[in-house]
Amino acid sequence: MARLRTLPKARDNISFLYFEHCRIEQEDRAIAIFQEKNKFLIPCASIATLLLGPGTNITHAAIKTLAESACEIHWVGEDLLRFYASGKGGSSNTERLQHQVNLWANSLDRLGVVRRMYEFRFDEQLPADLTLQQIRGHEGVRVRTLYSQLSKQTGVEWKTRDYKQDDWHDADDINRALSIANSCLYAVCQSAIHSVGYSPALGFIHTGKPLSFAYDVADLYKAETTIPAAFEAVASNSIDLETTVRRMCREKFASYRLMHRLVADIDRLLQYGNPDDEAEPFCFLWDDRLTYVEGGKNWGDEGEL
Amino acid sequence: MIVIILENVRSSVRGELSRWLFEVRAGVFTGRVSALVRDELWQLLSEKLGRGSALMIYPTNNEQGFAARSLGEPSRAVVDLEGLFLVQVK
Repeated sequence: MARLRTLPKARDNISFLYFEHCRIEQEDRAIAIFQEKNKFLIPCASIATLLLGPGTNITHAAIKTLAESACEIHWVGEDLLRFYASGKGGSSNTERLQHQVNLWANSLDRLGVVRRMYEFRFDEQLPADLTLQQIRGHEGVRVRTLYSQLSKQTGVEWKTRDYKQDDWHDADDINRALSIANSCLYAVCQSAIHSVGYSPALGFIHTGKPLSFAYDVADLYKAETTIPAAFEAVASNSIDLETTVRRMCREKFASYRLMHRLVADIDRLLQYGNPDDEAEPFCFLWDDRLTYVEGGKNWGDEGEL
Repeated sequence: MIVIILENVRSSVRGELSRWLFEVRAGVFTGRVSALVRDELWQLLSEKLGRGSALMIYPTNNEQGFAARSLGEPSRAVVDLEGLFLVQVK
């Protein structure tokens, strides 16, 4: 059983589960969700992110169970304001975090990551001599083209991206759908980032916000997942837009194999390659000459005093 | 591969399924059949079920890796919630 707990949480997991107006309790070492007169049994260790909408109650024991199952919880407001909590706190060592910090703190390395992130989004190779400003220009054109193509394909009218943060209910359907879909994607990306120990705050393209890196990662996948999901959901004219958006997101995440790709893509963009990183966790003491010395040992016995 | 679970059904229904699938536990049938045969078996169950319940699980290309179909009033239902099949108990 202990071995099951330390297996990396990963690629076969269900991306997210959304519930609102319900009560969540621990049951038989897993989770039960009570909604209206229904009770659902949830295998929380197989789910990467639990999204809780308005009207949810959750017990202490349930949170403990979710934390032990490495299932991240995001509280989502009607206006898509999000609070999140994660349990075991990702990977059992900080190799990836240190790698990310080193890249982030060095301008040249950071620029390399930025270029790779932009290049990721294009099907064709970009000429190597383009400046960052020129790459941004290409990206702008790519995004504009994407929206207008989807608008034509689905028949959904598109004017402009308008977040309407002050008056959520005033937004048009397609903007609401985009916000809901992207909210799911941000949560899933954040879970993946946490699960292997990267920091969601140290972004390369985005900067300054506590979730900058999560926005970087999500931007890699929007064109293939959330943007088409939002357009298709609005085009379907269903009574419950929110539910349809989430259903479409799940389909796109599955067909694009998002969960399988996330950690591998992030590692590749940051050029992180350490075959040993699922080994037993260890703890070291930093040393200015030796890089590190063994932890968990009393150095007063070493005789150098 | 498919799995069909029958609860409280007439023995003739169980008998029909046992021609095509292995009954590995009482009421639990499994085997590998083509999608066509799978759908035909389900059609057969829909027509002949009568009392009790039936649940069929089979692999698909969705996020969960499987889909579920139900007939009758089972002790636990498998419901489609926003594209995920969740287990609902009374």
